[in-house]
Amino acid sequence: MSVEIDKILVSILQRRFRSIAEEMSIALAMTTRSPILCEARDFVTGLYDADGKMLEQKENLPILSFSLGPVCEYIVKFFGKRNIHEGDVIFHNDVFSMGNQNNDVAVYKPIFHGRTLVGWSACKGHQADIGGAVRGGYNPSAVEVWQEALRIPPVKVYEKGKLRKDVWNLIFANIRLKMVEEDMKAQVGSCVVGERGLRALVEKYGFERFNAHKKYLFDATEKMMRAEISRIPKGVYRGEATGYFDGRNKGSKYTVRVKITVKGDSIHFDYSDTDTQTKGFVNGTFTSSASATVLTFLQMVDPNIPHNDGMVRPIRITIPGGTVLNASYPAATTYGNHLCPINANAIQRALAGAIPDKVTAGWNELLCSLSTGQDQRRKKPYVDIFFMGLKGGSGAVKGCDGYDHIGMIDASGGVLDQDYEMFELQTPHTLVRHEYLPDSAGAGKWRGGLGAVSEYVMGGEGNKLVTFGEGDVEPARGAHGGGEGTLNYIELDYPDGRKYRTTSKDLVENVPSGTFYRQEAGGGGGWGSPHERPAELVAREVRNGITSEAKARAEYGVALKPGTFEVDETETARLRRNIRA
Amino acid sequence: MKYKIGIDVGGTFTDFLLFGDDGSNEIYKVLSTPDDPSIATISGIELMAREHGTGTAEFLKSVSTVVHGTTVTTNAVLTGSGARTALLTTKGFRDALEMRRGIREEQYNNFYRNAKPLVERWLRWPVEERVAWDGREIEPMSETDVSAALDLFKAEGVEAVALCFMNSFANPSHETAARNMTREAMPDAYVTASVDILPSIRFYDRVSTTALNSYVGPILSRYLKALIRRLADLKFGGVLLIMQSNGGVVSPEIACDRAAMTLLSGPAGGPVAGIAYAADQKWDDCITIDMGGTSFDASLVKDRQPFVTTVGDISRLRLALPMLDVVTIGAGGGSIGWLDEGGLLRMGPQSAGAKPGPSCYARGGTYPTCTDADLVLGYLAADFFAGGRMKLDLAAAEKAILEKIAKPMGLDLVEAAAGMYRVINTNMSSAVREVAVQHGQDPRDFPLIVAGGAGPNHACMIALELEMPILIVPRESSIFCAAGMLMSDLKHDFVQTYATTLDSADPARFRAVFENMKAEGLRLLLSEGIAEDRIRYVHALDLRYVQQYHEVSVEIPAKEVEAADWKAMASRFHPKHNALFGYSLEEEGAQVELINMRLTCIGVTEKPSFPARQYHGPDPSEAFKNERQVFLPKKGAFEKLKVYDGAKLRFGNFIEGPVVIEQVNTTTFVTPEYDVLVDRFGSYTLFPKGKRTEIEGRVL
Repeated sequence: MSVEIDKILVSILQRRFRSIAEEMSIALAMTTRSPILCEARDFVTGLYDADGKMLEQKENLPILSFSLGPVCEYIVKFFGKRNIHEGDVIFHNDVFSMGNQNNDVAVYKPIFHGRTLVGWSACKGHQADIGGAVRGGYNPSAVEVWQEALRIPPVKVYEKGKLRKDVWNLIFANIRLKMVEEDMKAQVGSCVVGERGLRALVEKYGFERFNAHKKYLFDATEKMMRAEISRIPKGVYRGEATGYFDGRNKGSKYTVRVKITVKGDSIHFDYSDTDTQTKGFVNGTFTSSASATVLTFLQMVDPNIPHNDGMVRPIRITIPGGTVLNASYPAATTYGNHLCPINANAIQRALAGAIPDKVTAGWNELLCSLSTGQDQRRKKPYVDIFFMGLKGGSGAVKGCDGYDHIGMIDASGGVLDQDYEMFELQTPHTLVRHEYLPDSAGAGKWRGGLGAVSEYVMGGEGNKLVTFGEGDVEPARGAHGGGEGTLNYIELDYPDGRKYRTTSKDLVENVPSGTFYRQEAGGGGGWGSPHERPAELVAREVRNGITSEAKARAEYGVALKPGTFEVDETETARLRRNIRA
Repeated sequence: MKYKIGIDVGGTFTDFLLFGDDGSNEIYKVLSTPDDPSIATISGIELMAREHGTGTAEFLKSVSTVVHGTTVTTNAVLTGSGARTALLTTKGFRDALEMRRGIREEQYNNFYRNAKPLVERWLRWPVEERVAWDGREIEPMSETDVSAALDLFKAEGVEAVALCFMNSFANPSHETAARNMTREAMPDAYVTASVDILPSIRFYDRVSTTALNSYVGPILSRYLKALIRRLADLKFGGVLLIMQSNGGVVSPEIACDRAAMTLLSGPAGGPVAGIAYAADQKWDDCITIDMGGTSFDASLVKDRQPFVTTVGDISRLRLALPMLDVVTIGAGGGSIGWLDEGGLLRMGPQSAGAKPGPSCYARGGTYPTCTDADLVLGYLAADFFAGGRMKLDLAAAEKAILEKIAKPMGLDLVEAAAGMYRVINTNMSSAVREVAVQHGQDPRDFPLIVAGGAGPNHACMIALELEMPILIVPRESSIFCAAGMLMSDLKHDFVQTYATTLDSADPARFRAVFENMKAEGLRLLLSEGIAEDRIRYVHALDLRYVQQYHEVSVEIPAKEVEAADWKAMASRFHPKHNALFGYSLEEEGAQVELINMRLTCIGVTEKPSFPARQYHGPDPSEAFKNERQVFLPKKGAFEKLKVYDGAKLRFGNFIEGPVVIEQVNTTTFVTPEYDVLVDRFGSYTLFPKGKRTEIEGRVL
């Protein structure tokens, strides 16, 4: 290599890549209409090199951490570099050519310096509709991909700067909402922002220098990642976790099994022993499952490692087709992202012994509900994803309690509660309670994160409730002697006195106005023996009402002086000795 | 002669701008006294008196106005040292304050903890009561619950109480009843009801803002009382005004009631000053940057209006009062250089602060900081820091950079220092670019107004990176915010939620809401001694399309408000939505929803104006000071540059870059790409070589 490396320039390029990816993200957030994009920020923006290798990425939700790169590489191979031109814009969502989820539609824009392809800007967002049998794309009765979505394998919607109106029309003729067309335009706009930024950098430093320094950056990042992996004792680690109910067959379950091989400074995740795919929509795609793997592992290493190709180089992932994590064509896969919690559990269980300082206890798994119906106040339909209800606690880690009310690991605190008052304005429901769920956290020297309890009275007419998720059979596990969290459930008290506890993948129709909705999102698992938690801290949590006196005594071995929140030292010492003995 | 004084309390220094009614002005700086900031404030005034050869009381007789920016509230939140605060809230929702809507800012970091709530859970007391979304009472308020809570609060020595009930913006009766009970039971407590400070929809925003107000209220009240007492002891008979986060000033009495309005007031003087300096050279738009010891602030001004936001955070806690939109990152003279695990150089956000400070301060610090790099590269002179009052230790700076950066990276000292300089400049230019993008603007269209002690040494590199055409370094750049404070108007913001589709709003109710806000604003402004003919009202509505989640604030002329002309109002909304988000639904006939009504009441103050100086011609040789070796980043080598004394530069002086201009509190490094022209107010205009004629047209 003839270019001399200026290490400072490497730092600068890395900062600029990050900044450009963020600018793309800001631009997209400001220009999209669908709340799942502008409010929940379910999108990712990024820059890739000419071969589709990640330069930098801004994934607003961690589950998108690995979702753009594989497609970019696929696109480069699919078209061949000689058939990629300045001004091209390529759309893609197809889960059978490295897409992660049908509704996540990506835009790729090649970036040229002179006549040389120097990189790509890309973004991918969860679209409000993508055709298929059901508006919104969430179809629990689907068994094939076409019942879920319009498939878009890589297709040029612009060629050499010219809109292919016929192709554009073909796509949007198959999508219900006009909004999607606008939001896809916004995605193209975001790619233009990225293109300008990256091209300016290449122009400033020259392609050769740019390339050489990019390689150095990848290598430096790879070195960081390899250093982190080297700290894991080498060996083969196995873990498994089970999900329950495929949405069709009562008592059905599916198990993710991972074999993790750490050899020197590289790591291999092998899912060959994972259960075969289900017949319904509870199936993953390679890319969504690999994203889950990457995000779980990233939480076990230094969070400062830049997100570029160097980061993923030392990581190998094998997920055979036909398994529940990588369903074969033409399976339905809409549930795929929600397999992340199980996948994460399997990985955490595998590595808990090897790197006890880095691995959390189990996280609460997602259980979510969505209500639709007619808002009689406005004489208009309403739809609500009940974000505030689904957010349970994270698992504790050595040195730190779990995070309260954070929600599923795929988002790790990236999806927010609706505001209560805005919820009452936007839906006909009346909130009754949304609070931490006392005693939900797994006990431990470091306790799990608290879950939440949510209650509302349904208003509206013709209400329908859809549920999806897990965590109603197995609670979040504790680690190293820590206790387990509580289970998820959703329960309806009908005005006529009937009670109904939903399944984890349910469709409940005709829910009358006045029905009382109650949901518990469970807590995370605790880490280490609860007896080692400082008694004063336990006493304070009793005073704060998040731990009951009974639990303090039974699990933490902490007794309070009657009628106070002060630790009864003698009794506590006795309790802690006793239980230990 | 009569004087006005602007006082800006910073983390390291307290800045003073003394302004005479003849236009004369002087800059003073004293070290801040974080334990009791009023000590530095008073000692600065004493210093000014001494310099004027009189006693303090005598000197204060000639001072008509003191405008004061304080960070006592900010520091109380940052250090967790606010008042012991309790919360009364609707049963079922006591955790909203702590949950913060369930966000974890660092998604990959399992060791990241939630922000500590201002009120612990056992002092967040639920009250049985409920009002519906439209203000209907669903359940009456339990006075028993309130009384029980107040008994507990009293027993526990609670100093401040916040009240926030569900939907109280739509019907405040429960909340105000509980507030009155609280005031009666706890006459010494600082009490904030959410409807008194932010009667608008969004529960988390409101409860967080209300708790913040109570948490810092007693702190600000104590501080201002002490300050007023000290000033009274010195027989100060003029007006004392306090800076707010919204870029306006307010009397101390009102500031005490709305203490949270001062929480982000630190950088709020910046945009106000930026507008004035840009206007001097006929610019309506500008980007201001302010690089101090620890942080870097950037803001954008369009059409002489700063951007206002109601989505602010302090210590990760939501503050939803109107404030100037200033972006702050951790980049300043004290920013520490470090190497990550991949061996790449990073700068900040950690700062060595004032204690121990950069290595070259020789106060025990051994971190390699930005200031150390600036010294090694010759941008700072060891013997002229703070006008020579503080000698910098070059050897210590070299040692820190050599050991912590250069050797591990295999670079020599200068390469390492130059690297630090480049990396921090990249961090700052990225922040400026993001500010522009956030508002849909291109930085190339804006002049850069440069402030802060460290700013002028770095600004050229930021401007070059962003291809910004012009830089303006105000003569008062080191006390920029203090200058901004003297240029600020009295300002009170009001909001009231009225959620309805716009065209079905009730005109009588609509007008009444504005009338009530106006009456309150008028009352406050009159109490602050402003004449009625100097009062302005700005009406605005927060509008959105039905079912959207975010509102767009749209200014509405008074006559459309009076006429309740819904159509005209909507037609102001569509294009603004289009400008911000790239589309409008006007043609589709989409319904527009009203969420909040806002009124800003402004009392226009008399602004000091800097005196224009006599044209002196282009020759700067009278200000020539000496020459020294300075590192030129693009060239990658030192070169002997001329150094000019900024105090002696005159209107019309033209200096070719590269060059260094030194003032007492700041140094300007002009890179070879730029030349300098001194404007009539003594500010430096930096412009690309070859544009002299064009710039002379603007400046001369």
